[in-house]
Amino acid sequence: MIWIAVLALLLLALCGAPLFAIILGAAAIGFLTMDTPLAVLHITIYQLTDSVVLMALPLFTFAGFLLSEAKTADRMMRLSQAAFGWLPGGMALVALVACAFFTALTGGSGVTIVALGALLLPALAKAGYQEKFNLGLMTSSGSLGLLLVPSVPLLVYGIIAQQMSQQLDMPTVEITDLYLAGLVPALLMIVALYLWCLWAMRKQPVPKQAFSFAELRGALWDARWELPLPVVVLGGIFSGVLVISEAAAVTALYVLVAEVLLYRDIPLRKLPRIMRESMVMVGGILLILAVALAFSDYLVFAGVPETLFAFIQTHVESKLAFLLLLNLVLLALGALLDIFAALVIMVPLILPVALGYGIDPVHLGIIFVANMQIGYITPPVGMNLFIASYRFHKPITELFRATIPFMLVLLVVLALITYIPELSLFLVR
Amino acid sequence: MRRLARWLNHFEDGLIVLILLMMIGLAVYQIVLRNVFSSSLVWVEPLLQNAVLWIGLLGAMIASRRDEHIRIDLINTWLKPEARRWLAMVVDLFTCAVCAVVAWHSMLFLFEEMRQGGNAFPGVPSWMLQAMIPVGFSVISVRYLIMFFLDLLHLRPPMQEPHA
Repeated sequence: MIWIAVLALLLLALCGAPLFAIILGAAAIGFLTMDTPLAVLHITIYQLTDSVVLMALPLFTFAGFLLSEAKTADRMMRLSQAAFGWLPGGMALVALVACAFFTALTGGSGVTIVALGALLLPALAKAGYQEKFNLGLMTSSGSLGLLLVPSVPLLVYGIIAQQMSQQLDMPTVEITDLYLAGLVPALLMIVALYLWCLWAMRKQPVPKQAFSFAELRGALWDARWELPLPVVVLGGIFSGVLVISEAAAVTALYVLVAEVLLYRDIPLRKLPRIMRESMVMVGGILLILAVALAFSDYLVFAGVPETLFAFIQTHVESKLAFLLLLNLVLLALGALLDIFAALVIMVPLILPVALGYGIDPVHLGIIFVANMQIGYITPPVGMNLFIASYRFHKPITELFRATIPFMLVLLVVLALITYIPELSLFLVR
Repeated sequence: MRRLARWLNHFEDGLIVLILLMMIGLAVYQIVLRNVFSSSLVWVEPLLQNAVLWIGLLGAMIASRRDEHIRIDLINTWLKPEARRWLAMVVDLFTCAVCAVVAWHSMLFLFEEMRQGGNAFPGVPSWMLQAMIPVGFSVISVRYLIMFFLDLLHLRPPMQEPHA
């Protein structure tokens, strides 16, 4: 009987039922089999209000929406071009840096490709880069920066881990630690991709651009209201003056003032629409987060993580083999599922098992998000490929071919991040 | 009926914008209070934490208007429109039912809480803040029921993909 219900839920999920309804259904069935009154669903959903950091999610998302509606992409592009354009492979580096920062701030990989792609693709072509190279670069840079402050996926991972730490014996997972741990892996990805760009361009060297001090000064002046933003976010969080939720509130207010009042990029009458749209996205994430908390409570009550751990341990002996398996599973999931859906479904299952293998929860978060990031560009279903295909009017197969070299580079970095925990942890523990 | 729906839409839109603004304002106000005047208001923290729940549910309610929830969409792309319509009807009914179950049990819990529950913070009983859960799930449930009938009558607007 129970298996029929589980099968029906899986089938419904594949048929495109909203994931929150699937998870909710699974939790309800689970609690029913344990004779728990379903009021528990209300109680576990209300747990959402226990979290002191969760407020950062709507606020960072709102700030990100504002930035992507404003002309921030243009200014960021001009500034990084003035700063890095004169280096060998300069435009490629410009693309990588601009994409990474933009994605970190806006959180969505689709936004980066849509907003920055329109600017970067012609700029790259004009600088003399080949089209196939440019397409691959843009598609794979679209999700670069998911490990950088104030990335929302890392935040969501931290919230779930904090929730679970109440029931599991594990070291604490501070959001600040996650952000610190993400810095080196994210930089490593940027550097590796840059080196690959230089290598790929060695046969057809691109003429270097002259460095212009006046242009740099102009670009800096242009971005004067947005430049303090990283200082506010990073300084606020890492100095300990602000907790994450407060830093998010300051960021939201700051961006609001900068884009609406100082730059006047966003007219006041458009503001309610942007607010509503950003909160609809937040609602989608929070809803599956809430029901996933209910579901993970059921899993822990029912002892599923222990069973899963015992099962995996009989087949996978070493930590290394487990990590490899983890990478494969997460890559596939990252390609198939929305990043937030993957997080809320998989973290409650994987975290206890990973703890069993002696993996640090902070390190696991970095592995998780890094995998998801590459999942975005994994053929045949990675979301960035579709967004880029749609945005740049190219057949999807052409994008597969263009993106695969970049994906391989990122996979090498992923292996480094996964198997050398110190890369993530040396700033934290 | 249609007027009621439109009124509800405007109400939700207005409320969610208001809560977001309040959230930013109160949080920043609290930071200023703490760092400049080294004091704080006790009720701000729990209010903000509940505001997150409200925003989440309101956002989810708005997302249900056009079925913009996060989903895995594998099968639908391979199906003919007619089959897709039938499948959508099954999915809508399922979503409607699940939300109704939650709304129902949550309401029962709320009645209990109303009778014996305490205050979330002085002056505000905790059931008031929790009331958003049954309200939210009821509205989502009704919206999916409406979607089911729209499908039945071939009136449903095309599905929306959630955007990252």
